[in-house]
Amino acid sequence: MKQFFGMSQRGDLREAVRGLNNPQLIMLMSNSSQFEKHVRELEELYPQVPSIGCIGMCYDTNVAENGVGIVAFLDGVKAAANVLEQVSVMPIKYIRRLEDDLQALGASREDTICIDFCAGNDACVLTTIHTALRRREISLVGGTGDAGKVSANGKIYPDSVAYALVKNQGGRIKAYKENIYQKMGNYQFIASNTDKARYIMGALNGKPAKQVYQDILHVTEKQILTQTFKNPFGKINGDETCIISIKDVQGSALACFRQVNDSDVLVLLELADYKKVVKETIQKIHKDFPKRSAVFSVNCLFRYKLFSENGYMQEYLKEMSTLGPHAGLVGYGEHYNNQFVNQSMTCVVFE
Amino acid sequence: MLFRKEHKQTDKKRERQEKDLYPVLYVTDSLKHYHTDLVQKEVASLWELSLVGSSFNSVLGEAEQFQQKLEDLGANFFSVHEVSEQFVTVRDDISHSVEQAQDEVETLKNSSLEVESHFSEMGTTFAELRDSVEQIKQRMSRIVSIADQTNILAINASIEAARAGEKGKGFAVVATEVKKLADEIKDLAAEVDSGLKDVEQGANNLSDKIDTSKEALGQSLDKVQETYEMFDKISQAAEGATLVHSQISEVIGSSRSALETLCGFFDKIKEQYQEVVKHIGRASRLGTTKSAMFEDIDNLLSQISPIIKE
Repeated sequence: MKQFFGMSQRGDLREAVRGLNNPQLIMLMSNSSQFEKHVRELEELYPQVPSIGCIGMCYDTNVAENGVGIVAFLDGVKAAANVLEQVSVMPIKYIRRLEDDLQALGASREDTICIDFCAGNDACVLTTIHTALRRREISLVGGTGDAGKVSANGKIYPDSVAYALVKNQGGRIKAYKENIYQKMGNYQFIASNTDKARYIMGALNGKPAKQVYQDILHVTEKQILTQTFKNPFGKINGDETCIISIKDVQGSALACFRQVNDSDVLVLLELADYKKVVKETIQKIHKDFPKRSAVFSVNCLFRYKLFSENGYMQEYLKEMSTLGPHAGLVGYGEHYNNQFVNQSMTCVVFE
Repeated sequence: MLFRKEHKQTDKKRERQEKDLYPVLYVTDSLKHYHTDLVQKEVASLWELSLVGSSFNSVLGEAEQFQQKLEDLGANFFSVHEVSEQFVTVRDDISHSVEQAQDEVETLKNSSLEVESHFSEMGTTFAELRDSVEQIKQRMSRIVSIADQTNILAINASIEAARAGEKGKGFAVVATEVKKLADEIKDLAAEVDSGLKDVEQGANNLSDKIDTSKEALGQSLDKVQETYEMFDKISQAAEGATLVHSQISEVIGSSRSALETLCGFFDKIKEQYQEVVKHIGRASRLGTTKSAMFEDIDNLLSQISPIIKE
């Protein structure tokens, strides 16, 4: 298979798709003011080609912050795209669509990936999608777009998740998640007094969450929102750690970028040697896949900011390009199988 | 009219559907409550588990500290054993020194005996000297006696020479000279006698001194003997240190063996502790996966009601 990436910093879709012929799947990453226009134009240019889209920045070796980017798969790929609607209340209502697509594609664990762009209620969406994917052990990589809307097959859908099933006819597929944080000290908390709808974390080990965070890190209330770059929370799920960023302070509670539930076991994280972690991820991919056709990734906006502030973003993209054609989306939240995480990178590697 | 009838029928159908679906909604609502209760219980369980974990970690810490103390004690035993081993070294040093000293004393004793033997020889020599002096004295008195007789003869000769008158004048001179010689011999004999007396006196004094020295030497030899006995006592005392060392070693050996049993017991307990820690960790990890499943259940349950209501 092949991966195409094109971008236009000035938001010209035709410029972005220049040279793209016979795609099997197109992924659109647009900006909030031109999204509808880009979706329409794309459908006109490539009718009947499965596509998904969202509002968000994209990259290959450079970042398109406010333009438009296209990632497409062609040659030796079978794909299907669709949406689950009403994600804020009942995405399960549309699950048959996904089941039918999986069936039609002949999806299998080894060669198929599900890529999703979500408009919100991510944890619920991932639970819902996972009920269908888990039966075939299909992995998922995706992220959250901006403005509460996505596109699929030339149509805009508010309050929805757009998904694409991609079957690699020329080899294997594998999903990865990269965590540049490590556990800090021996702090471990049980969350309580949570509000899952508003992503509120009320108490940790029975004490107000804000006070716990401040007492450990000795930061003012104002500093909490920037401190999360260095010290987010990690939700423990067996051997996995899902990063949770702090969004806001609400009274004595902390509002997060991800749902926190009563009985969630959390740890405090600290920034690790992220350059080393990136190198390790690349080494692991090299080891798993001596020959790679493409890599599609979703990087958190927080990582983008952190890497940019530290003058590392360009170097990071250059390093990732050593894997071969690499492109991706800067998301507001990242999806890895049934996990909704923050401040992470997820990617799918095509053999 | 027909529309109103259809509308009425639709309302009735909806009412019937709502009535039919009410049990599902009821069950869903109940399940949600159970889910909430379950999560509350899970929070309490996890909290308890974390308390068990932290308490057990304290126990583990205490046990490790105790084991460390036991190991320190073992090390102390080793130090005591090492120090006690120095007794043997000290004993060896003492024995070595005693042997050296005994050798020195032996040499001293031999030298003293040699001196004693020399003193005896000197005593014999002095006795011989005294005999010789006595003989000289006797000979000297003989010489004096001869000189006296010669003197008498010289006097007689002088008298006879005087009687002979002029003819005897020359003879009188000779007689006078003989008398002088006899007197000189007597004087010389008296001087020799006096010298001999000095020699005799000196020899006696020396002999007395040698006797005194012999007596002192005898006392020294007694002291040497006493020293020998003292050294034996020191050697015996040093051997006592060896005995103390072997007794200490024995006690330390049995203590160390008891300590090893105790440490072995702790090692065994430690293995079991590690097992408990492993199980607590596993239970905690399982707890964390449960919270993810609760989230999934909640995410799915929360969708039922809106679907039915729609």
